[in-house]
Amino acid sequence: MDTQFLVSLAFILVTFGLYIGIAVYNQAKATSDFYVAGRGVPPIYNGMAIGADWMSAASFIGMAGTVMVMGYDGLGYIMGWTGGYLLLTFLMAPQLRKYGRYTVPEFIGDRYGSNLARLIAAVATIIISFTYSIGQMSGSGVVIGRLLEVDYRIGTIIGACLIAFYSALGGMKGITWTQVAQYCVLITAYLVPVIFMALQLTNNPLPWISYGSIIEEMRVLDRELGISEYVVPFTEGTKWQFLALMFTLMAGTAGLPHVIVRFYTVSTMKAARWSGAWALLFIGLLYLSAPAYAAFSRFILMTQVAGSPINQLPAWTASWVDTGMLQVADTSGDGILQWQELQIANDIVVMATPEIANLGVFVIGLMAAGAMAAALSTAGGLMIAISASLSHDIYFRSINPNASDKKRLAVGRWSIVLASLAAGVIALNPPGAITQIVAWAFALASGSFFPALLLGVWWKRSNAKGVIAGMLVGLSVTLGYIFAAKYGGFTILGIIDTGAGVFGASAAIIANVAVSLATKPPSQKIQEEVIDLRYPEQMTYRDGEVWLDDGNDVPPSK
Amino acid sequence: MKKIDKKVADSYFKTRTTLIMIYLAIGAIVSYGVVLFAEPLSEITFNGIPLHYYMGAQGAVLTFIILLFVNAIVSDKVDKKYGIDEARNESIGSGKTVDH
Repeated sequence: MDTQFLVSLAFILVTFGLYIGIAVYNQAKATSDFYVAGRGVPPIYNGMAIGADWMSAASFIGMAGTVMVMGYDGLGYIMGWTGGYLLLTFLMAPQLRKYGRYTVPEFIGDRYGSNLARLIAAVATIIISFTYSIGQMSGSGVVIGRLLEVDYRIGTIIGACLIAFYSALGGMKGITWTQVAQYCVLITAYLVPVIFMALQLTNNPLPWISYGSIIEEMRVLDRELGISEYVVPFTEGTKWQFLALMFTLMAGTAGLPHVIVRFYTVSTMKAARWSGAWALLFIGLLYLSAPAYAAFSRFILMTQVAGSPINQLPAWTASWVDTGMLQVADTSGDGILQWQELQIANDIVVMATPEIANLGVFVIGLMAAGAMAAALSTAGGLMIAISASLSHDIYFRSINPNASDKKRLAVGRWSIVLASLAAGVIALNPPGAITQIVAWAFALASGSFFPALLLGVWWKRSNAKGVIAGMLVGLSVTLGYIFAAKYGGFTILGIIDTGAGVFGASAAIIANVAVSLATKPPSQKIQEEVIDLRYPEQMTYRDGEVWLDDGNDVPPSK
Repeated sequence: MKKIDKKVADSYFKTRTTLIMIYLAIGAIVSYGVVLFAEPLSEITFNGIPLHYYMGAQGAVLTFIILLFVNAIVSDKVDKKYGIDEARNESIGSGKTVDH
C-alpha cells in the first residue's frame, strides 16, 4: 500500500461518512419529506442540489474529453445541456410547482384527468431513469476500482449499497442535503486542477480567461501540422446535426423527471425561478471550465507528448498507456511520436490532469472523491424518481389508495433498495447498448415528457386522448428514427440518432394538438386549473374571475 | 379574498409572457443563431478565440445564466407591482398542494 492509496481511501471514506451522516440526520418521517423534502428547501441550496443531480459521472469525467476530441462540434453538448434550463425555468418549473403534486407522472395524470396517461408516464420515468442509473453505477465502480486498486465489480457493489442505504433512509429530504454536499465536493475537485494547470501554462489563475491564448497557439500548431483546425466548425457532422443535437439536449433536459422533481421541493413559484437561476450558475462553473480543460490538455499533448522521441515520453504517460486510454504507436517508424500517431480516450482529459500538472497525491485523492460525488448524487436522484413512480404513481394511486403513511414510506424505501441493487447487478456486466441508451434518453425525454408538459401547462384545450396519442407517437417516432439512422443508414439533412428528439418532439406536439382538437375538450375544472397556472399562488382563477387572497374572508365556491 | 379586475389579471399574465418570449428569443439567438452563422462569425476573434467558438464555449452559457437571474429579479418586481406578497404565497402554496 503506497501513500496514494491511503490518501485516496481517506478522501473517499471521509466523504462517504459525510453523506451517510447527512442522511441519518435528515431522515424522512412523512411521505411529503420522502417525495418532495417537505417542500421547504431554500432556492440557493436547491440550486446546488439540482447541479449535483444533473452533473453525472459522464459530465465530470467525459465532458472535457468530448470537447477536446470533437473540437467545435463538441460545444453542442455544452450549449444544449445548459440551454435546457431556460426552457425548464421559463416554461415549466414554476407552473408545475404551483400545481403541487409529488411526481411528474402525477402531474400528467391529474392535469389530463387520465390514469392511463399517468401509467404511461410512470413506466417511461422508470425506463429512462433506470438505464441512466446503470451508467452511474458502473462509473462509480470504475472510479472506486481504479483509485482503490480493487476490481471494478467490487467498486460497483460498494457504490450500489451506499446509494441504497442513504437514499432509502433519507428519501428526498436526505438526498437534497447530501446532493448539496456532493456539489461542493465535485466542483472543488473539478476546479482545483484546472486552475493549477492555467497557472502553469499561462501564469494566470483564471482558466476561463486565459485559455484564449492557448487556442491561438494551437491554431498555429494545427496549421503547421496541416490537420483540420481545432476551432473549425462542423468537422464531425452537418450543421443540421449540430442544431438537432442541441435542440434534443435542451428539450430532453426540460423533460427529465429526476431533474423536474427537484423543483417540487421549494416553497413557491418564485422560489422555483430562483432555483433555476442558481442551478445554472452552479452548473455553469463546471461547463465553462470543461472547454478550458480540453484546450490545456490538447496543448500539452501536442507540445509535450507529440513530437518527442518514442522512448522519451513524459513519465505520466506510462500508466495511461497501460490502461489503454492513451495509445502511442510509432507507425511511421521514425522514432518520433507524431500527433497523428496518438490516440486519446475522452475520459483521460480530466482524470490525468493532476498527474500531467504534477499536483500530487492530495489532488488525485480529491479528484477521486469528486468523480464519486458526481456519480452518487445523480444515481441518488434517479433512485428517488424510480421509487416515487413505483410506490406513488403505481402502488398508491392505482393499486392501494388506502395505504397508510407508514406503509407507503416502507414501500418507497424498499423500492429504492431493490432498484439500486438491480441497477448495481446489471452494472456489473453492462450490456454494450447502455451507453447508447443513455445518449438516447434525452431524445426519448424530448419526444415524450417535454411536449406533454409544455402543452399541459400552456394549452388548456389539450386533453387526455391528445396527450396519450402525443406520448405514444413521440416515443415511436423517436425510437423509429434512432433505429433507422443508427442501423438503417437513413438520415434527414445528416441528422443522426443523437438528434432524433427534434423529430420526436415535433411529431408528439402535432399528434397531441390534432387529437385534442378532434375530441371533446377537457372538463371545465381542468381548464380552470390550467388558467390558474398563469398567476402566482396568491391569485386564484375560478368561474371566469381572478381572486386575490389577502388573508381575509374566503367566499364559498359556486 | 378580493376580486381582481379581469384586465389587471390579464395584463399580469401578458407582461410575464412577453418577458419570457423576449428571454427565449435572446437565448435562441446566442445559441442557434450563432451556430447558423458559424462560418462568417469565425472571421471575428474575441480574446484570442474565433467568435463562433467563444459563443459556444462561454458566451451562450453566460447569457443563459444572466437571463435566468434577470428573469428571477424582474419577475419579483412584476409581482410586487401587482401587490403579490411572497409570505402569503408561501402559506397558500403549502396549504394548497396535494400532500396525500
